Amino acid sequence: MTSTTRSNAKMTATPATRVLGVLAIAATALMAVLGLFISPADVIQGEAVRMLYLHVPSIWIAYGAFVLTSVSSILFLRARKRREDQGRHYDRLAGSAAEVGVVFTGITLITGMLWGKVTWGTYWQWDARLTTTILLFVTYLGYLALRRLPADPMVRSQRAAVMALISFINVPIVHYSVDWWRTLHQKASLSVGRRPEITGEMYWTLLYSTLAVTIVATWLMIHRYRVIRLEELRDEEALAALISSRLKNDDGSN
Amino acid sequence: MSEVTTVVTGWGITFIIVATYSMWVVSRGKIIGQELGIGEMEQADPGKDADATTDL
Repeated sequence: MTSTTRSNAKMTATPATRVLGVLAIAATALMAVLGLFISPADVIQGEAVRMLYLHVPSIWIAYGAFVLTSVSSILFLRARKRREDQGRHYDRLAGSAAEVGVVFTGITLITGMLWGKVTWGTYWQWDARLTTTILLFVTYLGYLALRRLPADPMVRSQRAAVMALISFINVPIVHYSVDWWRTLHQKASLSVGRRPEITGEMYWTLLYSTLAVTIVATWLMIHRYRVIRLEELRDEEALAALISSRLKNDDGSN
Repeated sequence: MSEVTTVVTGWGITFIIVATYSMWVVSRGKIIGQELGIGEMEQADPGKDADATTDL
Protein backbone atom coordinates (compact mmCIF):
# COMPACT_ATOMS: atom_id res chain seq x y z
CA MET A 1 0.00 0.00 0.00
CA THR A 2 1.34 3.42 -0.90
CA SER A 3 1.78 6.27 1.55
CA THR A 4 -0.92 8.16 -0.37
CA THR A 5 -3.57 5.49 0.24
CA ARG A 6 -2.61 5.25 3.90
CA SER A 7 -2.86 8.98 4.15
CA ASN A 8 -6.32 8.85 2.57
CA ALA A 9 -7.35 6.08 4.93
CA LYS A 10 -6.41 8.20 7.91
CA MET A 11 -8.71 10.94 6.69
CA THR A 12 -11.87 8.83 6.78
CA ALA A 13 -13.06 9.58 10.33
CA THR A 14 -14.10 13.06 11.30
CA PRO A 15 -15.54 14.63 14.44
CA ALA A 16 -18.71 15.19 12.37
CA THR A 17 -19.42 11.44 12.21
CA ARG A 18 -19.04 11.16 15.97
CA VAL A 19 -21.58 13.96 16.38
CA LEU A 20 -23.83 12.14 13.89
CA GLY A 21 -23.52 8.94 15.95
CA VAL A 22 -24.53 10.69 19.17
CA LEU A 23 -27.36 12.40 17.30
CA ALA A 24 -28.54 9.02 15.97
CA ILE A 25 -28.71 7.56 19.49
CA ALA A 26 -30.55 10.61 20.86
CA ALA A 27 -32.97 10.67 17.90
CA THR A 28 -33.71 6.96 18.32
CA ALA A 29 -34.36 7.38 22.05
CA LEU A 30 -36.81 10.23 21.38
CA MET A 31 -38.44 8.16 18.64
CA ALA A 32 -39.03 5.35 21.14
CA VAL A 33 -40.58 7.77 23.66
CA LEU A 34 -42.87 9.31 21.04
CA GLY A 35 -43.78 6.03 19.38
CA LEU A 36 -44.30 3.94 22.50
CA PHE A 37 -45.65 6.44 25.06
CA ILE A 38 -46.70 9.84 23.65
CA SER A 39 -48.48 8.82 20.46
CA PRO A 40 -52.04 7.58 21.13
CA ALA A 41 -53.37 4.09 20.51
CA ASP A 42 -55.52 3.66 17.41
CA VAL A 43 -59.31 3.35 17.67
CA ILE A 44 -59.35 0.20 15.53
CA GLN A 45 -55.86 -1.31 15.86
CA GLY A 46 -55.26 -0.35 19.49
CA GLU A 47 -51.63 -0.53 20.72
CA ALA A 48 -50.55 -2.49 17.64
CA VAL A 49 -50.49 0.74 15.64
CA ARG A 50 -47.13 1.52 17.31
CA MET A 51 -45.53 -0.89 14.83
CA LEU A 52 -46.27 1.76 12.20
CA TYR A 53 -43.38 3.93 13.45
CA LEU A 54 -40.87 1.17 12.70
CA HIS A 55 -42.44 -0.58 9.74
CA VAL A 56 -43.11 2.39 7.45
CA PRO A 57 -39.84 4.36 7.99
CA SER A 58 -37.87 1.13 7.53
CA ILE A 59 -39.23 0.46 4.05
CA TRP A 60 -38.87 4.13 3.07
CA ILE A 61 -35.22 4.02 4.10
CA ALA A 62 -34.80 0.76 2.19
CA TYR A 63 -36.32 2.37 -0.93
CA GLY A 64 -33.97 5.35 -0.52
CA ALA A 65 -30.96 3.08 -0.03
CA PHE A 66 -31.81 1.09 -3.16
CA VAL A 67 -32.26 4.30 -5.16
CA LEU A 68 -28.80 5.37 -3.97
CA THR A 69 -27.42 1.95 -4.93
CA SER A 70 -28.85 2.27 -8.44
CA VAL A 71 -27.68 5.85 -8.99
CA SER A 72 -24.20 4.99 -7.68
CA SER A 73 -24.10 1.91 -9.93
CA ILE A 74 -24.94 4.02 -12.99
CA LEU A 75 -22.27 6.56 -12.02
CA PHE A 76 -19.78 3.72 -11.48
CA LEU A 77 -20.47 2.24 -14.91
CA ARG A 78 -20.04 5.69 -16.49
CA ALA A 79 -16.91 6.59 -14.53
CA ARG A 80 -15.02 3.30 -14.51
CA LYS A 81 -12.93 4.12 -17.58
CA ARG A 82 -12.65 7.85 -17.17
CA ARG A 83 -11.86 8.66 -13.55
CA GLU A 84 -8.51 8.17 -11.92
CA ASP A 85 -9.98 5.93 -9.21
CA GLN A 86 -11.99 3.96 -11.84
CA GLY A 87 -15.22 4.97 -10.12
CA ARG A 88 -14.42 2.95 -6.99
CA HIS A 89 -16.04 5.62 -4.84
CA TYR A 90 -19.43 5.00 -6.50
CA ASP A 91 -19.02 1.24 -6.18
CA ARG A 92 -18.37 1.54 -2.44
CA LEU A 93 -21.36 3.84 -2.08
CA ALA A 94 -23.56 1.33 -3.93
CA GLY A 95 -22.36 -1.55 -1.73
CA SER A 96 -22.80 0.28 1.56
CA ALA A 97 -26.26 1.59 0.63
CA ALA A 98 -27.44 -1.84 -0.53
CA GLU A 99 -26.36 -3.51 2.70
CA VAL A 100 -28.16 -0.92 4.83
CA GLY A 101 -31.18 -1.28 2.53
CA VAL A 102 -31.22 -5.04 3.09
CA VAL A 103 -31.05 -4.58 6.88
CA PHE A 104 -34.04 -2.23 6.81
CA THR A 105 -35.98 -4.45 4.38
CA GLY A 106 -35.44 -7.28 6.86
CA ILE A 107 -36.77 -5.08 9.67
CA THR A 108 -39.77 -4.19 7.50
CA LEU A 109 -40.53 -7.87 6.94
CA ILE A 110 -40.19 -8.82 10.62
CA THR A 111 -42.24 -5.90 11.96
CA GLY A 112 -44.81 -6.48 9.21
CA MET A 113 -45.18 -10.15 10.11
CA LEU A 114 -45.67 -9.35 13.79
CA TRP A 115 -48.13 -6.59 12.96
CA GLY A 116 -49.95 -8.89 10.53
CA LYS A 117 -50.41 -11.57 13.20
CA VAL A 118 -52.31 -9.09 15.38
CA THR A 119 -54.35 -7.36 12.67
CA TRP A 120 -54.83 -10.10 10.04
CA GLY A 121 -54.50 -13.18 12.26
CA THR A 122 -51.55 -14.57 10.30
CA TYR A 123 -47.82 -13.90 10.10
CA TRP A 124 -47.62 -14.40 6.35
CA GLN A 125 -49.85 -14.29 3.32
CA TRP A 126 -48.61 -14.68 -0.26
CA ASP A 127 -50.28 -11.50 -1.42
CA ALA A 128 -48.72 -9.03 -3.87
CA ARG A 129 -47.10 -6.64 -1.35
CA LEU A 130 -45.58 -9.31 0.88
CA THR A 131 -44.40 -11.47 -2.01
CA THR A 132 -42.74 -8.60 -3.88
CA THR A 133 -41.11 -7.39 -0.64
CA ILE A 134 -39.56 -10.78 0.15
CA LEU A 135 -38.40 -10.92 -3.48
CA LEU A 136 -36.78 -7.50 -3.02
CA PHE A 137 -35.00 -8.76 0.10
CA VAL A 138 -33.73 -11.90 -1.62
CA THR A 139 -32.55 -10.15 -4.81
CA TYR A 140 -30.52 -7.59 -2.87
CA LEU A 141 -29.10 -10.39 -0.70
CA GLY A 142 -28.00 -11.91 -4.02
CA TYR A 143 -26.44 -8.58 -4.98
CA LEU A 144 -24.46 -8.54 -1.71
CA ALA A 145 -23.39 -12.16 -2.30
CA LEU A 146 -22.22 -11.22 -5.81
CA ARG A 147 -20.05 -8.46 -4.33
CA ARG A 148 -18.24 -11.09 -2.23
CA LEU A 149 -17.48 -13.55 -5.02
CA PRO A 150 -13.76 -14.01 -5.68
CA ALA A 151 -12.98 -12.24 -8.96
CA ASP A 152 -11.09 -9.31 -10.39
CA PRO A 153 -12.41 -6.31 -8.37
CA MET A 154 -13.37 -4.26 -11.44
CA VAL A 155 -15.13 -7.16 -13.15
CA ARG A 156 -16.96 -8.01 -9.95
CA SER A 157 -18.01 -4.37 -9.47
CA GLN A 158 -19.32 -4.17 -13.04
CA ARG A 159 -21.38 -7.34 -12.62
CA ALA A 160 -22.70 -6.06 -9.27
CA ALA A 161 -23.64 -2.70 -10.82
CA VAL A 162 -25.66 -4.42 -13.55
CA MET A 163 -27.37 -6.63 -10.98
CA ALA A 164 -28.19 -3.57 -8.86
CA LEU A 165 -29.97 -1.99 -11.81
CA ILE A 166 -31.91 -5.17 -12.54
CA SER A 167 -32.86 -5.57 -8.87
CA PHE A 168 -34.15 -2.02 -8.72
CA ILE A 169 -36.98 -2.84 -11.16
CA ASN A 170 -38.78 -4.45 -8.22
CA VAL A 171 -38.76 -1.31 -6.02
CA PRO A 172 -41.64 0.53 -7.77
CA ILE A 173 -43.48 -2.80 -8.10
CA VAL A 174 -43.30 -3.24 -4.30
CA HIS A 175 -44.48 0.31 -3.69
CA TYR A 176 -47.41 0.28 -6.13
CA SER A 177 -48.40 -3.36 -5.58
CA VAL A 178 -51.17 -2.27 -3.18
CA ASP A 179 -52.64 -0.09 -5.94
CA TRP A 180 -52.13 -2.48 -8.85
CA TRP A 181 -53.47 -5.64 -7.19
CA ARG A 182 -56.05 -6.51 -4.57
CA THR A 183 -53.98 -7.22 -1.46
CA LEU A 184 -54.46 -7.89 2.21
CA HIS A 185 -51.98 -5.10 2.91
CA GLN A 186 -53.46 -1.66 3.45
CA LYS A 187 -52.79 1.30 1.13
CA ALA A 188 -49.83 3.60 1.81
CA SER A 189 -50.21 5.63 5.03
CA LEU A 190 -48.63 8.67 3.37
CA SER A 191 -48.41 9.23 -0.34
CA VAL A 192 -47.56 12.22 -2.51
CA GLY A 193 -50.70 13.85 -3.92
CA ARG A 194 -53.05 11.83 -1.70
CA ARG A 195 -54.70 12.76 1.59
CA PRO A 196 -52.79 11.12 4.50
CA GLU A 197 -54.45 8.08 6.06
CA ILE A 198 -53.35 9.28 9.51
CA THR A 199 -53.39 12.69 11.17
CA GLY A 200 -52.39 14.54 14.35
CA GLU A 201 -49.87 13.03 16.75
CA MET A 202 -49.63 9.81 14.75
CA TYR A 203 -48.79 11.75 11.59
CA TRP A 204 -46.05 13.81 13.26
CA THR A 205 -44.64 10.81 15.12
CA LEU A 206 -44.39 8.94 11.83
CA LEU A 207 -42.60 11.86 10.16
CA TYR A 208 -40.23 12.22 13.12
CA SER A 209 -39.54 8.46 13.15
CA THR A 210 -38.61 8.68 9.49
CA LEU A 211 -36.14 11.46 10.29
CA ALA A 212 -34.63 9.46 13.18
CA VAL A 213 -34.27 6.30 11.09
CA THR A 214 -32.72 8.37 8.29
CA ILE A 215 -30.03 9.65 10.68
CA VAL A 216 -29.29 6.08 11.86
CA ALA A 217 -29.13 4.78 8.27
CA THR A 218 -26.84 7.63 7.20
CA TRP A 219 -24.44 6.88 10.05
CA LEU A 220 -24.46 3.18 9.13
CA MET A 221 -23.82 3.89 5.43
CA ILE A 222 -20.89 6.22 6.15
CA HIS A 223 -19.22 3.63 8.37
CA ARG A 224 -19.96 0.73 6.03
CA TYR A 225 -18.46 2.77 3.18
CA ARG A 226 -15.27 3.22 5.22
CA VAL A 227 -15.09 -0.48 6.03
CA ILE A 228 -15.41 -1.37 2.33
CA ARG A 229 -12.55 1.03 1.65
CA LEU A 230 -10.42 -0.59 4.35
CA GLU A 231 -11.23 -4.04 2.93
CA GLU A 232 -10.02 -2.86 -0.48
CA LEU A 233 -6.80 -1.50 1.03
CA ARG A 234 -6.21 -4.79 2.85
CA ASP A 235 -6.79 -6.80 -0.33
CA GLU A 236 -4.45 -4.51 -2.32
CA GLU A 237 -1.77 -4.87 0.38
CA ALA A 238 -2.13 -8.66 0.43
CA LEU A 239 -1.87 -8.79 -3.37
CA ALA A 240 1.20 -6.55 -3.38
CA ALA A 241 2.85 -8.74 -0.72
CA LEU A 242 2.07 -11.88 -2.74
CA ILE A 243 3.53 -10.41 -5.94
CA SER A 244 6.62 -9.22 -4.06
CA SER A 245 7.09 -12.67 -2.54
CA ARG A 246 6.69 -14.34 -5.94
CA LEU A 247 9.24 -11.98 -7.52
CA LYS A 248 11.75 -12.72 -4.74
CA ASN A 249 11.28 -16.46 -5.22
CA ASP A 250 11.77 -16.08 -8.99
CA ASP A 251 14.95 -14.04 -8.43
CA GLY A 252 16.27 -16.67 -5.97
CA SER A 253 15.66 -19.54 -8.38
CA ASN A 254 17.43 -17.75 -11.32
CA MET B 1 -49.94 -12.74 21.14
CA SER B 2 -51.40 -9.57 22.68
CA GLU B 3 -50.99 -6.13 21.09
CA VAL B 4 -48.54 -4.95 23.77
CA THR B 5 -46.44 -8.13 23.47
CA THR B 6 -46.34 -7.68 19.69
CA VAL B 7 -45.21 -4.06 19.98
CA VAL B 8 -42.54 -4.86 22.57
CA THR B 9 -41.27 -7.80 20.48
CA GLY B 10 -41.19 -5.75 17.27
CA TRP B 11 -39.37 -2.79 18.79
CA GLY B 12 -37.03 -5.09 20.71
CA ILE B 13 -36.05 -7.13 17.65
CA THR B 14 -35.53 -3.95 15.63
CA PHE B 15 -33.21 -2.43 18.21
CA ILE B 16 -31.28 -5.70 18.51
CA ILE B 17 -30.82 -5.91 14.71
CA VAL B 18 -29.68 -2.29 14.35
CA ALA B 19 -27.39 -2.47 17.41
CA THR B 20 -25.84 -5.78 16.32
CA TYR B 21 -25.26 -4.56 12.77
CA SER B 22 -23.76 -1.27 14.05
CA MET B 23 -21.38 -3.12 16.35
CA TRP B 24 -20.40 -5.52 13.56
CA VAL B 25 -19.59 -2.64 11.20
CA VAL B 26 -17.58 -0.75 13.84
CA SER B 27 -15.66 -3.82 15.02
CA ARG B 28 -14.90 -4.92 11.45
CA GLY B 29 -13.47 -1.49 10.71
CA LYS B 30 -11.31 -1.66 13.83
CA ILE B 31 -10.04 -5.16 13.06
CA ILE B 32 -9.09 -4.35 9.47
CA GLY B 33 -7.59 -1.03 10.55
CA GLN B 34 -5.38 -2.90 13.02
CA GLU B 35 -4.40 -5.45 10.34
CA LEU B 36 -3.31 -2.55 8.15
CA GLY B 37 -1.43 -0.95 11.03
CA ILE B 38 -3.55 2.19 10.85
CA GLY B 39 -4.52 1.96 14.51
CA GLU B 40 -0.82 1.64 15.46
CA MET B 41 -0.02 4.73 13.41
CA GLU B 42 -2.77 6.54 15.25
CA GLN B 43 -1.32 5.65 18.65
CA ALA B 44 2.11 6.77 17.55
CA ASP B 45 0.70 10.11 16.42
CA PRO B 46 -2.00 11.08 18.93
CA GLY B 47 -1.90 14.74 17.97
CA LYS B 48 -4.05 14.12 14.90
CA ASP B 49 -7.79 13.66 15.38
CA ALA B 50 -8.55 11.68 12.21
CA ASP B 51 -8.24 7.92 11.93
CA ALA B 52 -9.53 5.12 9.79
CA THR B 53 -11.41 3.26 12.48
CA THR B 54 -15.18 3.40 12.63
CA ASP B 55 -15.74 4.75 16.11
CA LEU B 56 -18.60 7.11 16.71
